Amino acid sequence: MTASALPQILATGLLMGLIYALIAAGLSLIFGLMDVVNFAHGEFLMLAMYATFGFAVFAHLDPVLSLPLVAAVMFIVGASVYAGVVRHAMRSKVNTGMVQIFSTFGLATLIQGGAQFFFTPDFRNVDHTWLSAKTLDLGGIFLPWSQIFGGLISLVAFGGLYLMMTRTDFGRALEATREDKGAVALVGIDSNRVFALGWGLGAALVGVAGAVLATSYAIHPQVGAGFATIAYITVALGGFGSVFGALVAGIVVGLVEALTANILPPAMKSMGIYALYLVVIFLRPQGLFGKL
Amino acid sequence: MKRRQALIGIAGTVALNGAFTQALAQKGEVVIGVIYPLTGSSAQVGVDSKHAIDTALEIINTASTLDLPGARNAGLAGLGNAKVRVVYADHQGDPQKGRSEAERLITQENVCTIVGAFHSAVSATVSATCERYEVPYLCADSSSPSLSRRGLKYFFRTSAHDEMFSEAMFDFMDAMKSKGKPIGSVGIFYEDTIFGTDSSAVQRKLANERGYKIACDIKYRANSPSLSAEAQQIKTANPDVLLPSSYTSDAILLTNAMASIGYKPKNLVTQAAGYIEKPTLESVGDKLQGMISRASFSADMGDKRPSAKAVNDMFKARAGRDLNDQTSRVFTAMMVLAEAIDRAKSVEPKKIREALVATDIPGEKTIMPWKRVKFDATGQNTFASPVLIQFKAGKFSTVFPFEVATATPVWPMNP
Repeated sequence: MTASALPQILATGLLMGLIYALIAAGLSLIFGLMDVVNFAHGEFLMLAMYATFGFAVFAHLDPVLSLPLVAAVMFIVGASVYAGVVRHAMRSKVNTGMVQIFSTFGLATLIQGGAQFFFTPDFRNVDHTWLSAKTLDLGGIFLPWSQIFGGLISLVAFGGLYLMMTRTDFGRALEATREDKGAVALVGIDSNRVFALGWGLGAALVGVAGAVLATSYAIHPQVGAGFATIAYITVALGGFGSVFGALVAGIVVGLVEALTANILPPAMKSMGIYALYLVVIFLRPQGLFGKL
Repeated sequence: MKRRQALIGIAGTVALNGAFTQALAQKGEVVIGVIYPLTGSSAQVGVDSKHAIDTALEIINTASTLDLPGARNAGLAGLGNAKVRVVYADHQGDPQKGRSEAERLITQENVCTIVGAFHSAVSATVSATCERYEVPYLCADSSSPSLSRRGLKYFFRTSAHDEMFSEAMFDFMDAMKSKGKPIGSVGIFYEDTIFGTDSSAVQRKLANERGYKIACDIKYRANSPSLSAEAQQIKTANPDVLLPSSYTSDAILLTNAMASIGYKPKNLVTQAAGYIEKPTLESVGDKLQGMISRASFSADMGDKRPSAKAVNDMFKARAGRDLNDQTSRVFTAMMVLAEAIDRAKSVEPKKIREALVATDIPGEKTIMPWKRVKFDATGQNTFASPVLIQFKAGKFSTVFPFEVATATPVWPMNP
């Protein structure tokens, strides 16, 4: 690694990190809300990318424009998954955690298989978008517009999430339901409704991420898996239950990955992330900003 | 008592089932196992391979006028016009799944041979399993040189391996140098499974032997979400020729990552795989204009191999796309295997092995640019002469060896 390459490495790492954070946001929200790890998170991302592709092909909508629509579609998907699967998994009296894990894991396999059957394993591309294949040249530092857009959207999403969690009744209801499901029932909050909305919101966030990624990534039934792995480590590193922690952790993961890839052989670039996570586990097992 | 009865019942059913399939094989049916990634990130390759196999089956099982071995009559003449039936298995790109599926094909489905498997890492485990059960494994398209160097008696590979392919690449670069094109350095870029590591090992050796400087030597993690850092390293090294060995998703990702940092490689000579797949050419083909790839097949060979066009049309009717380097090799492997079983006049694996050892098909009786199909002691077809093809304006044309070329190479690709 040469010193002259460092600004480029850091800039790329930062933008990738913001995108990783955006992908992890929904996962972190759902986990924080009800202690459920959604193993179908990567498949939600894949569905969102296919939705973006669908809007581009059938309605000729650029991903920048279809982004809110994709988020809306994914909101419905997320809420239905809660109502159709997770709610029932939570009714289990014994080993609730395991039942939840396997139900979302099964869902992931089902969605992936379904995508392969209905969409075929072909690679799809959203061609000629406003952002794809355009690069900003900042005095020798090249930043793809699709990633700049992704980074900005990520910051906006986290900002909006923060405002919603702290300033709205719904946000307070989310927080309260997380703290004590029984008590909120006494004050007339329907925890099922709050959870369904929470799942919808988490899926909508990954929908936003999917629309962003579709501007620069090929879409296929397995596209979510690689990103999901990074999302899990991001949530764990940032601290379970801390949405803000996911933002910081996403950036850290992006930077560490970019630096590791330039110091060690690139095949070992994910080692840096996991090594860092092990160090964090050693010092703060709940993650950087974990409240649990 | 009940449990024991149930167990006996199950065992009995399994045994009967086995006997039943065996009986079928004797009653005018030849069962062949075909193992490909039908799901997972390389599923498209598997689906296309299935179309290639089905095309071969159509030619073998129905009477056809094509000048290919086994085409004339319906079924295999040597076995009383027995029809060939294929049992497909899915390995998902996972060597462990490949091993267990191969075992299932042999023990449950009673296949007499197995054809596969695209990924070299999977071919390694499948061929080892076949060796243990003494069932021939016909490797159609896995190109790691090490596969045929393990002293296996039941391993046969119709197409060239990466050493032969890479030699063609360096022969080509030597030829370009002698034509006055300056080529000083190469960049090796490869994925971290057996395909990439074997391919890079050969390229590294050849570069050193023939006096090319290695400007960068980058091993990357297959199926990474991002290849930006890797693209940055290639840009810094800026080799005269970049030699990537990548599967589809990585090929697309790297091409985009290089473009996004404003880097155009001076020349791209690829180890086929992801770079010749339709999704790659569709999504990033505009950035790959002038790319050269090694190949076993090129659609522009129509006049030299008359049956190639007809086979391509049949394949296209099924798959909706042209035959490429990979699918043509799958098709050819199936045809070669059928010819051997026909000569063996038996579905007994040992007899089929003997027939494969004796295989000698002249190049004109295939759709490939090969001299012939004839296996050496290691099971490698040493006559599978590779060609290099160049991608221009949405089409591949053969550019090397010059005596079979249909176009002059554009070099450098990006001045």
